[in-house]
Formats: sequence, C-alpha cells, structure tokens
Amino acid sequence: MIHHKLIVQNTLGIHARPAGHIVNIASSAQSSVDLLYSGQKVNAKSILNLMMLAIEPGAEVEFIINGPDEQKTADDLTELFNNKFYEDAT
Amino acid sequence: MPPKQETNQRKMFIGQAASPGYVIAKTKLIVRQKVVVSQYKISREGTASQIDFFRKGIMQVKKEISNLRDITLQAVSKKDSEIFDSHLMILQDPLLIDGVISLIRDERWNAGYAFHLKMQSLIENFENSDGILKERAQDLKDIYNRTLLCLNSSESDFALQEEIEEGGAVLTGFSIGPNMLMNFDKGKILGLAIDSGSVTSHVSILARSMQIPAVMGLGSLSESIKSNDLLILDGTNGIVIVNPDENDINKYKKQIEVFQNQKLELFTMRDLEPITMDGKYIRLNANIERYEEASEITSFGASGVGLYRSEFLYFGRNALPTRKEQAEAYSKVVNQLDPLPVTIRTLDAGGDKMLALVNAEVESNPFMGWRSIRLCLDRKDIFRTQMKALIEAGSRGNLKIMFPMISSIGELEKAKEIYEECSAELRAEGLSITKVELGAMIEIPSAVIIIEEIAKRVDFLSIGTNDLIQFTLAVDRSNGKIASLYEPHHPAVLRSIKLVVEAAHKEGIPVSVCGEMASDPLSTLLLVGLGVDELSMSSWCIMECKKIIRSVNYDEARAISAEVLGFADASSINNFLKKKYSQKIKSLGISSFITAQDFTTSDRALIKIDDEIQRIGS
Repeated sequence: MIHHKLIVQNTLGIHARPAGHIVNIASSAQSSVDLLYSGQKVNAKSILNLMMLAIEPGAEVEFIINGPDEQKTADDLTELFNNKFYEDAT
Repeated sequence: MPPKQETNQRKMFIGQAASPGYVIAKTKLIVRQKVVVSQYKISREGTASQIDFFRKGIMQVKKEISNLRDITLQAVSKKDSEIFDSHLMILQDPLLIDGVISLIRDERWNAGYAFHLKMQSLIENFENSDGILKERAQDLKDIYNRTLLCLNSSESDFALQEEIEEGGAVLTGFSIGPNMLMNFDKGKILGLAIDSGSVTSHVSILARSMQIPAVMGLGSLSESIKSNDLLILDGTNGIVIVNPDENDINKYKKQIEVFQNQKLELFTMRDLEPITMDGKYIRLNANIERYEEASEITSFGASGVGLYRSEFLYFGRNALPTRKEQAEAYSKVVNQLDPLPVTIRTLDAGGDKMLALVNAEVESNPFMGWRSIRLCLDRKDIFRTQMKALIEAGSRGNLKIMFPMISSIGELEKAKEIYEECSAELRAEGLSITKVELGAMIEIPSAVIIIEEIAKRVDFLSIGTNDLIQFTLAVDRSNGKIASLYEPHHPAVLRSIKLVVEAAHKEGIPVSVCGEMASDPLSTLLLVGLGVDELSMSSWCIMECKKIIRSVNYDEARAISAEVLGFADASSINNFLKKKYSQKIKSLGISSFITAQDFTTSDRALIKIDDEIQRIGS
C-alpha cells in the first residue's frame, strides 16, 4: 500500500475535467485508489465523489493506492499533477 | 479554462451545418421554463421497465455526448473535447446510476422523477458549499437538462425569453421543438443556433424547408450568450460567431450578397421545364410535411408532391387525429395543387420519430423495430382511420398513397386489402370515391431482392434512399464514429437502385427517389442516368436541380451511370463522377447544396476557420 501526497498545481482546482483525468488513471488501475482530502476519504474511481470534495488550487491531497500496480498508478498520478492536468498550457 | 465573462467578447462556435445560408442578426434566447417533472409511484411489476427506460435514456444521452466529443475532438482540440469525457464519466458514476435505480426500485418513483431527485440532491451539495464548487454545479446542470429531456420531455418546457422585435432574430437555445418553430410568423425567425440536435433532426429538415439557416449541435453556445447579442450564423459551414468584429461582418456581408445573387439567379429557373438538353423530362417533386407548405412548392418550381410525410399530423398532440381532421388536411393539399399529383406516405412513426401516443416503450433498436407499416398493420384502427381520410381526399384531386417500409409481399397485400375494405366501406356510406394509385416505398434490402414481385402489385415505386443506404450498409448515420461509412454512392446502393428501376420499367410503372440523395448534384445526375423518372426533395433544392438537369445530355448521363455500375467501390465512383461532372457543376455556380457526405464528422474536421475557434464545450 502506498500513501502518495500530491499538490494541486493548476489554477482552477479539481473540477470536472481534471477529475475525469484522475478517474481515467484510477479506473484503468487494478489497484484500489482512494483519495483523502480534509478528513474525507473517497473512491477515486467515482468522478462525482472527486468533484464533491471541492479541492482548491494549491491544496495537498493524499492518494491511498493498494494493489499490484500501485507504483505505476502513483507515477501516473504524479505526472498528471505535475502537468497541471494538461490545463494551464496554452 | 472557464469563460471570462467579459461583455461583448468575440467567440466562435462550430456545430453541424443543418440548413444553408448566412445571417447577421441579434439573437433571442430560448429558455427553459420551470420544468414540471412528472412524478408518480410505480407498481412493483413496473420497476423493471422503469429501470430499463432509465438505462436507455442514459444510453441515448451518452451517445449524444460522444458525438459532441468526437466533433469537438476533430474540429477543435483534444483539450476542449475532454469536458465531454468527464460528462460521460458522470453518467456512468455508480453514485448517480445506482442512486437513481434504488430510488426506482425501493421508493418506486418513476424514472424521470427518480433522476430528478438524485440530481437535485447532488446539485444542492455543490451549490450549498461556497467558492469554486458552486460554479461546478454547471456541469451537473448540463447533464441534468440533457438527460431530463430524454426521460421527461415536453416541448412546452421551452419558451422565448423576450419577444422578437420587428425585423426578426436568430433563436438560440439548448433545444427547440418543431411545433415551437412552426408557431412563429414567417420572417420572424432569421436563423437557428441550437446546442443539441443534428443535421438529421426533425427541426433541421424543417429549417431547410422553411429556408432558415441553421446550425445544430453547438454544445454550450446558449450558456455563453444573452438575448440581443449580435451574431453571425453560417448555416452553410456550421459556424456561429458571437459578437463578431468588423472583419467578420464585412466578410459575411460579401458572402450574403453572393448567396442572395445565386438565389435570385436560380429563380429564373422556376418556370422552366426540367428537361435535359436532348429532351428527357425528369419530374421534380417536393417533399413536404405540413399542409401549409403546399402553397409554397409551386413557387419553387415543383411539379407536385413526391413525399408528404403524414406523421406530422400525429406529433405533439394529446389524441390521435380524427378521420375528419386528416381528410381536411389532405384535401387542402390536394385541392390547392390539383391537377398536380400529391403522393402521401402513410404513417411512418417509430425509428427516430417515436409517437408517444402509440408506443411509449423504448426499443433497443428502434430503426429495426415496431415502426411504420408494421405498426400500422398491428394497429389497424389507426391505419384504417388514415386510409379512409386518404381515400376521401383522393376524390378531390390527384392523390396517391404510398406504403413505407415494405419488406415482404405479405405486408403489401395486407395494406392493399385494407385499402379495398376501406374503399368499400366509404362507398357503403354513400361517398363517391375514385380509385387511388398505390405505391410501395423501397427502403429495405429484402424489398430490392424481391422487387419484381413488388413491381407487379403496385402503380408506382419510390426509393427512400436514407433508409435504403442505412440498411444496405448497416450504418447508423446518427453515430458519429461510423458516419463516414454512410456512403450513398456505394456500388451496392447504386446497383440496388438499378434493379428497382429495371423492374419498374418492365412493368411500365414509374420510379421516384425521395431522400436527401436526390438533391445532391452528383447524385442527381447519377440517378437520372440510372433511369429514375422522378426526384423528390426539399422544395428549395428544386431550382438548382432543374439547372443541373437542363445542363446535361440524357444519353451522356446514361453512359456515365452505366459505367460506374461496374466499379467496385464508392471512392472510385466518386472520383469518376467528379471528373465527369465537377467542371459542369462548378460552371453552373452551384454551391448551396447540402450533400449527405458533407455531414460526416471527418469532413467537419476539414473546415478551416483560421485557428480562430476559442472554445467549445466548457
């Protein structure tokens, strides 16, 4: 099991489109992927759950990933977060 | 990026080119009234079918959104298309789907209301928090509106925000129903820019027949503009520019001038005969769907009605139309046009034109389902009412009856039997009636294969190319992913048409083609060369078609068509036709044709709009 902390670096926080990217990664993983934010833990395979956390720009979130491909999943998420969900680039 | 709410910011949107023409005008928004979601408890036995109805509604909405995504992906950018991926994910999120299903199963709410309850609670969750979450409720609201339209739709949910002023306006909104469109006075609506729908939507066909430029499937245009914003609507290329700059306006003013001149020039064709240079007469008829249109068709130079879609009498009502009501509607058309022929197609409901009054069930494959003549032969009460109205109107002028979706001799015989019975009953009532010509529509491959048997039993044949192509090629053209496979010039389609023509001429009866194919310039020439006697199309296409027919030699067209019949695939046929005819079509200055091929998403991607598109979707 990996506890993986990441910072939300885009200017808009996790709205529908970034949440969609997270769901894409979480759903294609064999591992379970949960997201912990301000005391709430949700399944990262549900886009509505992610959106309802109202994650603000600059926030730190923690993924709890458990399963055979946990490292790869964590790496994919890191790449997604570091690229600001491919949003801010013009 | 979220839209910056600057006032009067120039924005460009693209959608589907649904009806050609250009207009620069103020817009009026169509807004959703407070929607009344019908709410009722269902029985235990009813839960399965409500859950099924809900799932199919969701499937339908997902299909619409995927189409939007594909168009955006190809014509705009991957980034802009991603918002639709998110919407698709929301529509398969168990939090939503299982939530609604449990409201249906456990609380026994009907599907529409269960969906409404669940979505409202989600939207409230978003809206009650402060800050960014509040804005994000918009995505959910989009989905709510789109889906509710499927599960709980009623045209009266929509109305104009403000009155249209003198001079008219372009209507913009999430959706518009055919009835709403028809209720406006002529000249008030200058164009349509609609978020949902497609080229083949009923409203699009109507817009083309009313000669109103229209762009459909614009995504979220209506959320980014307000009533009285100025916009340019380009129905020929599927482009909408909100708050255009001076450049845009000048460019389009020129376009409008060219378009108007072409139109004026075309009107010189109106009173000329559709005869080839070597003297072959091709009858050009109009397709109509409202009796009010009848008065207009001769002003476009039509020589009759080749397809009157009678189902329009049945839509948007609380009760089926009575015999008297139908007889009056049909008589009006026949009287007005006498002695010109009027071919009326019997009720063709089902497929994409569901009649809630008759069949509320959602079918998994409606195009191959309980529709058209099948429905009529099962619901003889409905069929006989219409038949009697048709026969009654037939005594007032030149009326012909056409049976759609014939797939076997049995169906044809049954339909003819009902005609005979109804005639006898009317005679017994003391009415003096005349014999009406009966025809079969050929739109199913099985009918093509047994065409010789069919031709022996009818007075005329009419090829419905839209369905014939769809069924011959097994391509649902409303599916954006495979729309490019919808190929009217596929050799299988052309050889089918040839078989039908040969069988008809052997029996000495005429063949007509009705369907969008008839009005595509290359197809027109191809069909004429194949020996088709009549073409039926939207009335505004007729003058262009005349111009084309008057510019060719029948012998030459026959030779070209005969040659392409031997070709193995559509692309070599298209290339050959272009080589033979392009120069001619170009020299005629014809540009405003809508061709079936123009509508494929792959073609949409080719539209160059100077990298000016700023955003579509979110």
